[in-house]
Amino acid sequence: MTGSDKLALRLSGISKSYGSVRALNNLSFEVAEGRFFVLFGPSSVGKTTTLRTIAGLVPTDSGRVEIFGKDVTTAPIAGRGVSMVFQSFALYPHLTVYENFAYPLREEKVGREDIDKRVKETAAMLKLTHRLERKPNTLSGGEQQRVALGRSLIRRPKILLLDEPLTNLDAKLRHDMRAELKRLHRQFGMTIVYATPDELEALSMGEEIAVMRDGAVVQRGTPDELYEQPLDTYVAGKIGSPHMNMIKATLGVDMATFDTPLGKLQPTRKVKSANSGDAALLGIRPSDLRVAGQGDAFIRSTIHLIEPLGDVTVISVEAGGESLRMVLPEASATSMKPGDAVPIAIDASKIHIFRAASGQAMT
Amino acid sequence: MVDKVSIWEALGFRKASGVGEAGWGYTLIVAIVSFIYFIPVLMIIFMAIKPQDVALSVPPTLSPTSLFGLIPDAYVFSPTLENFTSVFSRSMTAGGAPEDTGFDRYFFNSIVIATVSVMLALVIGTLAAFGFSRYPLKGNDTYLFIILTTRMLPAIVVIIPVILMFRVAGLSGSYIGIILLYTAFNLAFTIWMMKSFFDELSLDVEDAARIDGSSEIKVFFKICLPQVVAGLAATFVFGLILTWNEFLFALLLSGTDTRTVPVAMNQAVSSGGRGTDWTLLAAIETLFLIPVFLVTFFLQNHLLRGVTFGTVKR
Repeated sequence: MTGSDKLALRLSGISKSYGSVRALNNLSFEVAEGRFFVLFGPSSVGKTTTLRTIAGLVPTDSGRVEIFGKDVTTAPIAGRGVSMVFQSFALYPHLTVYENFAYPLREEKVGREDIDKRVKETAAMLKLTHRLERKPNTLSGGEQQRVALGRSLIRRPKILLLDEPLTNLDAKLRHDMRAELKRLHRQFGMTIVYATPDELEALSMGEEIAVMRDGAVVQRGTPDELYEQPLDTYVAGKIGSPHMNMIKATLGVDMATFDTPLGKLQPTRKVKSANSGDAALLGIRPSDLRVAGQGDAFIRSTIHLIEPLGDVTVISVEAGGESLRMVLPEASATSMKPGDAVPIAIDASKIHIFRAASGQAMT
Repeated sequence: MVDKVSIWEALGFRKASGVGEAGWGYTLIVAIVSFIYFIPVLMIIFMAIKPQDVALSVPPTLSPTSLFGLIPDAYVFSPTLENFTSVFSRSMTAGGAPEDTGFDRYFFNSIVIATVSVMLALVIGTLAAFGFSRYPLKGNDTYLFIILTTRMLPAIVVIIPVILMFRVAGLSGSYIGIILLYTAFNLAFTIWMMKSFFDELSLDVEDAARIDGSSEIKVFFKICLPQVVAGLAATFVFGLILTWNEFLFALLLSGTDTRTVPVAMNQAVSSGGRGTDWTLLAAIETLFLIPVFLVTFFLQNHLLRGVTFGTVKR
């Protein structure tokens, strides 16, 4: 993890409505300096509005935006030290790549020679030197993306906002650009706020992830924290692929054992503030299910679908009327076929417990 | 990239680029239809260079050259520039000395009135269109609709209240009056055209400029305006053609000094009691065609891009 504990950004109680639509609903979070921070959530959850609020493009209805300790809630856009890469790239279509790079510097009244030097440096860094005289619409998607990045980086911003920057690229380029972005982050050490609906991007790039829902942050933490301790079924369902298996359950009188269609299960996690007979959902990740060995307690199940994915195979089984997915190493699944009976074992320490009504964690 | 540039491209014609090139058959059909469209213009140009005495001869003379013997001599006339000189100076009475016809003045009037009013409409209309596009009023569409109402009626209907307004304001016969009138009429068209061009622009691009430190004024002049140059050119040409050819308002609202060519043309051929002088009329029309033709020709690259703007995925 890079950077100190100094706060680069603090949003507190931000609300914003467009007409009757609530885009942001009492949104709060802070980002430490130098952090690669990911805003994660499906589309129209308020990620873009959040970034635009930080940049100052959208005035807030209420709440406070602080950048490096300074209240900038109503401050003008220029001077915030923030730059942004748009999902659409938003390159200036009438200007050459050179002029696109030079634009923010000219607005800052940087000297002509200095502009030339910095444009050439930036172009070299992003391998765009041979494209400087081209107009954006003659470039490939990946090149346009790099121009957009370069234009944002050339000002040496303290905070870089990235709004789904990879969504418009094809799969191969996306992979390359993920690595490129991480490299740039290491090289410049600026604070990055990165919005994405893509779980893989969030987990692979974010040092810290905020999962958003309905214009607010549901849970914030490192990728591991979100994976190991999801606070509710929403986060549990968003993080991890294939998605977590959810099994309906009822809490027993001993406050530890659950009645489920699979039989009795006793998770190691301790339940808190619950009553016996409470309805619950038990979450089990597909990777925490395995084929039972000799002497293990096991649950009978029948295979009904096998999806080989190369190194691993996803097996869908039916047990006690519930459909479960499990991930097995490719080698251990080769002999299986649909219709086979297979005994499965569940790692009790990996069972997540949620309240059925609210979806909140019961632990 | 060094492409071979044909003489046509050098002259401003666009190089055809498409999915497939049309064969000779289709090209021939289009050529024939285009030629049919062009016949009236061609007839006027030929009429302008015919001697007056063969203008109405039967059978008609068709060509200034025999095309290497292809056309029989009976259909060939010998071209002359006499008609063009008589546009500007001719004897008004039988056997009288040549007099100045004032047509130099009328051409000057047409050029000044059309150019100034179209430019004015372009400046005001573009600013207004940007306002309508980016800072919509409550009930934005209502105002846009009202702006267009003056163009929904035929000129002959609108002319009566306009004449009254001009009389009250004392604008009849003045340059300012006719220029303001044309500006107002072009504004409706300009605002609608330019608004649609501004609506097509990506708002993200403008926001990017704001983040890069640009003020609203700079966003407009350095980011938005350069992106709609094609639209400006298209709007300018269409407005110019409409204004250049306008007859009714000019007839009723211009004075002797501010008369435009279409009005003067009408008076030149219908006065004197000697019947219509067709070759003179054709000569005036040919001269009248040249300025719009040149402007359209030099702006045609922009024109095509402007008109097809937004229909092409960017």
